[in-house]
Amino acid sequence: MQERIDELLAAARAELSQAGSDAALEAWRVAHLGRRSALTGILRSIRDLPPDERRAAGQAANAARQSLEEALAAHRDSLSRREDESGADVTMPGYPVRLGRLHPLTRTLREIRAVLAPLGFRAVSGPEVEWDRYNFELLNIPADHPARDMWDTFHLQQQARPGDLLLRTHTSPVQARVMEQVRPPVRVIVPGKVYRYENRDASHESEFMQVEGLAIDEHITMADLRGTLTHFVRAMFGPDRELRIRASYFPFTEPSAEAEMSCHACDGGGCSVCGGSGWIEILGAGMVHPTVLANVGYDPEVYQGFAFGMGVERIAMLKYGVTDIRSFYRNDLRFLRQFH
Amino acid sequence: MRVPFEWLCELASVGAPVDEVAGRLTDAGFEVAEIHRAGEHWDRVVVGEVVRLDPHPNADRLNLPTVTTGADEIQVVCGAWNFAVGDKIAFAHEGARLWDAYSDEPRLKELKPTKIRGVVSRGMLCSNRELGLSDDHEGILILEPDAPVGRPLTEVLGDEVIEFELKANRPDALSVLGIAREAAALFGAEVSSPIPGAREGDGEPWPTVELVIDDPALCARYSAAFVRDIQVTESPAWLRKRLELAGMRPINTIVDVTNYVMLETGQPLHAFDWDTIRGGLIGVRTARPGERLVSLDGQDRELTGETLCIVDGEGPVALAGVMGGLATEVTDATSTVLLESATFDPVSIRRTAHRLALRSEASRRFEKGLPPELTEPALRRCVQLIESIGAGRGEFLSADAYPSPSGPEPVSLHFDRIEHLMGLAYERAEVRRALEALAFDVTETDDLLHVQPPFWRRDVTTPADVVEEVARLLGYDRIPNTLPTGGVTDVVPGELDPRDDELRDVMIGLGFTECVTYALTSEARLARLVSPDLLDADLESPLGDAETWDEVHRSAMNDAGRALTDRLLPLHRAPLQIRNPLSSDESTLRLTGLSTMLETLRANRRHTDRDLLLFECQPTFLPRADDLPDEPLLLTAVIGERLSAGRWNETATVELPFVRGIVDEVLARSGVDLSTVAHDEVRHPTFTPGQAAGAMQGRRTVAAYGAIEPDVAAAYGLDERAWALLVDVAALREASAGPPSFAAWSDYPAALRDLAVVVDEGVTQAEVLETIRRAGRPLLTAVRMFDEYRGEQIAAGKRSLAYALSYAAPDRTLTDKEADKAHNRVIRALQHRLGADLRS
Repeated sequence: MQERIDELLAAARAELSQAGSDAALEAWRVAHLGRRSALTGILRSIRDLPPDERRAAGQAANAARQSLEEALAAHRDSLSRREDESGADVTMPGYPVRLGRLHPLTRTLREIRAVLAPLGFRAVSGPEVEWDRYNFELLNIPADHPARDMWDTFHLQQQARPGDLLLRTHTSPVQARVMEQVRPPVRVIVPGKVYRYENRDASHESEFMQVEGLAIDEHITMADLRGTLTHFVRAMFGPDRELRIRASYFPFTEPSAEAEMSCHACDGGGCSVCGGSGWIEILGAGMVHPTVLANVGYDPEVYQGFAFGMGVERIAMLKYGVTDIRSFYRNDLRFLRQFH
Repeated sequence: MRVPFEWLCELASVGAPVDEVAGRLTDAGFEVAEIHRAGEHWDRVVVGEVVRLDPHPNADRLNLPTVTTGADEIQVVCGAWNFAVGDKIAFAHEGARLWDAYSDEPRLKELKPTKIRGVVSRGMLCSNRELGLSDDHEGILILEPDAPVGRPLTEVLGDEVIEFELKANRPDALSVLGIAREAAALFGAEVSSPIPGAREGDGEPWPTVELVIDDPALCARYSAAFVRDIQVTESPAWLRKRLELAGMRPINTIVDVTNYVMLETGQPLHAFDWDTIRGGLIGVRTARPGERLVSLDGQDRELTGETLCIVDGEGPVALAGVMGGLATEVTDATSTVLLESATFDPVSIRRTAHRLALRSEASRRFEKGLPPELTEPALRRCVQLIESIGAGRGEFLSADAYPSPSGPEPVSLHFDRIEHLMGLAYERAEVRRALEALAFDVTETDDLLHVQPPFWRRDVTTPADVVEEVARLLGYDRIPNTLPTGGVTDVVPGELDPRDDELRDVMIGLGFTECVTYALTSEARLARLVSPDLLDADLESPLGDAETWDEVHRSAMNDAGRALTDRLLPLHRAPLQIRNPLSSDESTLRLTGLSTMLETLRANRRHTDRDLLLFECQPTFLPRADDLPDEPLLLTAVIGERLSAGRWNETATVELPFVRGIVDEVLARSGVDLSTVAHDEVRHPTFTPGQAAGAMQGRRTVAAYGAIEPDVAAAYGLDERAWALLVDVAALREASAGPPSFAAWSDYPAALRDLAVVVDEGVTQAEVLETIRRAGRPLLTAVRMFDEYRGEQIAAGKRSLAYALSYAAPDRTLTDKEADKAHNRVIRALQHRLGADLRS
C-alpha cells in the first residue's frame, strides 16, 4: 500500500511542477485530489483492508493527501507571484533620483590640483580685489609701463586710502603674497577668479578662472618647468601629448615662454580645434624675474624658480569640447548636467 | 606690426620661405599672428586696360567698360566711375574667387557670368576690398600705368606680409630692421643695413636752428635735419606699395618717407614746414598754463601741464611724439622742411596719448622706450630717401641736442649661470656665437662672460636677460624635461580648505547642481532682493545708505533678520563700485550670492519645471574702510517650487522642513553638533514672514533659509515660490565640533514609546523637543518628531506633535517599569512646563 501511495505522490508532484495556469492547477486537483482520484480511491478502500492494516494505511493516505494539498497551495502561490512578475516591463524608466553635478570649472580645477599635488604643489587662494602694488608693481610692472596694456583692468572707485584698488587681472599677485610670508622652498598653485576689462564673446570673458603655479628653491630650473608642464599636459590630455615651449615675454618672468601641446583632437595632424597647426597654446610660463624675487625679499643670487599660469576655462573647453566660454557662466542646467 | 616679407628679405637674406621664417621667429619670441598672402586667390585675376567706356542702355548708374587683357576684349557691367579709358585695372575673369564686398564676414565668392539690367557681364573690375587688399570699396583699384596688360595680378601686387603680435619689451622689434636682425641671427644671414653712412656738408649755406631741451629726462635727445627744394607730390609706386602692405596709407612724398623710415628703423620722425617755425628755435618742454594748440586733426586743444610739447620761439607747435600741429604742417607750398628725430620719455608720451586718446604708430613706439642712438641714423636714412625719390635735398644732420649720452650697460655673468637657470649645459662657443649673432659684444675673463648689448637692446640689463637671449636663439626645444627636486613647503598661508571641496560634494549628494555666477552685478539688480513695497523712493541709491535702510526696514526685521545683514545679506552696505564698468548692469561687486542665484533659478525655470536645485560656493565682497574688502566664502543655494517625489510624474511642493532637512545635513556633515544649533524665525524683507529661519550657534548665524518673499521672487521674474539657503562658510567652520569622535551606543534593546502632545500654537516644536530631552535624561537615547496635526479632533489654536522616543541603558535591558518611569517623567514635564495635553 505504501509503495502505491509513494508512486502516486511522485507522479502527482511531477505533474504539478508542469502546471503553469489556474486551469491546469484545477485539472490537477481534480485528477489527484478529486473524488475520482486514485488517492481518494485508496482512502475509500481502506475500510476493505484487514483491521490491523487500516490504521497504518489510513495515516499514510491522509499524510499523502495533506502533502499534495500543501504542494498545491505552495505551487499556486508561486504561480501567482510569478504571474505578477512576468507582468512587469523591465524597460520602464526609473523613478526620478537626483544627484547634483559639480560645475565643470570646479571639476577641471580639481583635476588640475590632483595632477600637481603629487609634485608638492599646494593650492592657495588670495583676494580677488587687489592693490595695484600686488597685481602689478611687485610683479615688475611699474605704473605707466607699456606692459600694463597686456591686462585691461577694472579699477575700483577710489577709497579713502591712497593706492589703487582693482580687480586682479591674474592670479599672480598671490605669488607675491605667498613669497612675502613663506621662505623657500615654495611650491604652490593658485586657482581663482580673475577679471579683465574686455567685452565678452565666444572666446573672451571679463570674469574667468586661472591657475597659477610657482616653484622657488635654490636649484629649480627651466628644465624643471618644462618637465612639470610636460607631466601636466600628459596627465590632463593623455600620455601621447607633446609639449613645446617658445620664447615669449611676461614682465614677471625671465626667460619667458609660451607653452603649446600637440593637439589632442588630431594628434598634431591639424584640425579645427588647433586651427590646422597641430599645436594648441595652453599656458604662459617662465623663470621668476629676479626683480620679483627681490621685491618680496628673496635673494635672487640664491633663489630661483618658475611660474606658470593657465586659463581654466580654456583647459575645460579643450577637454570637453565646449565652444563658447560664456557657457560656463550662464549656468544652464542643460549645460551643467552634461558634466557627470 | 605688419612686415612685408619682401622688405624683410631685402634687409636680411634669410633664404627661407615665409612660413619657415615666421615659425622660427615665433619660436624665438616674435609671435606671428597671421601670414597675409595678398594674391593667394588671384589665379583668375589679371592686369587689364580699359579700351572703351559705353553707357549702360538701361541704367544711368551703371556703365559698360570694355577691357583688354591682351588676348581678348571683354565687356562688363560696372557700377564704379573712378576710372577712364586707358587706365590699368585688376580684371577678374569668370571663375575668379573674390572677397564678397557686401558681406560682413570675410567670405570668398566665385565670380559667375551675370546679366545686369539686360546686359551680360563676363568678368569684373575689382576694388581693393574684393581683392582682399584693404577695406576700400570706393571705386575700383587703378593700377600703375606701366602695369603689363594680361599678366597675372600677383606679379604686380601680390606679396606676403607677416603680421606680428609684438610684446612690450622689444621696441626695436617694432621695425622691419629689428625683425630682420632677429631673422638674420636665427638663419645665420647678414643684415644689410639701409642706413647710409655720415657725409660731409655740401658747402652750401643752410639755415640754422637752435635746439633747447628743458628737461633731459623728458627728452633725451633731439636731432634735426633740414631738407629744401621740397616736392610734395605722390610717392613712387614701390614706396606706396610697401606702406600699404605695412598697413599705412600713402599721403605724399614727405609724410610717406617719414612713415617709411619709422617702419623701417622704428624711429618716428616728424616734418615741420620750416617757414612756419617762429624765431629759428625748436624747444621741448611741458605746456604752460593756458597754452593751446590746434593739432593736425584740426582740434583746438588746451594743453595741460603734463603735456610734453615741441615749441618754437613763440609757443607750442606739436604734441611731442603724439601729433603735429596744423600750423606747421607740410603742405604743397612748403619749400624747406625741418625733420625731427627725437627720443621722448616713454611715460610722458604714454600718458599724453592715453589722456587724449591719440595712440598712433609713433606714440606706440615712444611708449616702449626708444634708444637715443637711433635718432641720427634714422635722420640720415630719411634724408637719403627723400633725395633718392627727388623730393628734396638735405643735410644728414643739421642740429643735435643730446645732453647726457648714455647707452646700455654691459652685463657680466658666470658662464655656469646659464646652465644653473636653464638646467641644460651649453657649449661656450655656441653661447658666444648666439650672442654675437644678436650683435652683442662678448668678452670672457675666466668664467665670467661680459656682454655688451647693442644700442637698440636696452631691455637686456640682467644676467637672466642674457640667459634668455642665449636660450631662445639656440632654441627652447633643447631644454630637457626634468622634475623639480628638493624640499616642499609645509605650511602655506591661505591654503585652500579641503572642507570646501567636501561641502560642494555634500551639496551634490543632496541633489544640488553647482553654478558659478558673475561677481559683477549692479545695485539695481541687488535691490530686487528687497521687497519693492519696502523700497523707499527717497533712498539715494537703490539700496540706500545704512541708516535709511535700517529705518525703512526696521519694522520688517527681527534680531535674527538683522543678523543676516552682517555677512549673508548685507544689503544696507554700499557695494564696491567699478570705476570703468563694461555696462551699468555690471558696475558693482556683489554683496551676496543670492541675487545672481535667483537670476540663475529664473533662467533655468524657463525650460525646467521641477527639481531646480542650484548652489554656488563663491566669495562676496564686503567693503572695509582703508583696506581690501572682506571676501567671505558664501554657500548660496536656491530651490524651485516643485520636486520630483515618488513615481515618474509625481511631485511634491517644497516646504520649510524640506529646506531645514538640507540645512541639518549640511551642518551635520560639516561636523556641527546639531543640538548646539538653534533655529530662530527670521523676519527680513527678502524672506516670506513665517517661512524663514536662521540656524544660530550662540549669537552667530551659520545659515539662513526660507521662502523668498513673493514680491522679491516676482522682481526676479519668478511667479512661483522660490526657496533659498545661505551658509556663511567661515561660521560653519567655527561652529564645527572638529573631527568626528566615536561614542558607544547601547547594544541592549531600547524600550520604544510614542507620544502625542497637544500644545498651544505659540509653543514651538523646539521647546517641546527640548523639554522632552531634558526630562528624559539619562535614559532617553533618541527622540524623533514624526507628525504634526491640526484639525477637528483638536481645539482651535492648538496642534498636536507626535514623537517617537527610545529609552535604553548602556549596561542592561531596561525593564518596562524603568522605561515607564522615565517616560512618565517626560509626560509630566510637558504638562507642567508647556501646559501640554497628552493625546491618546
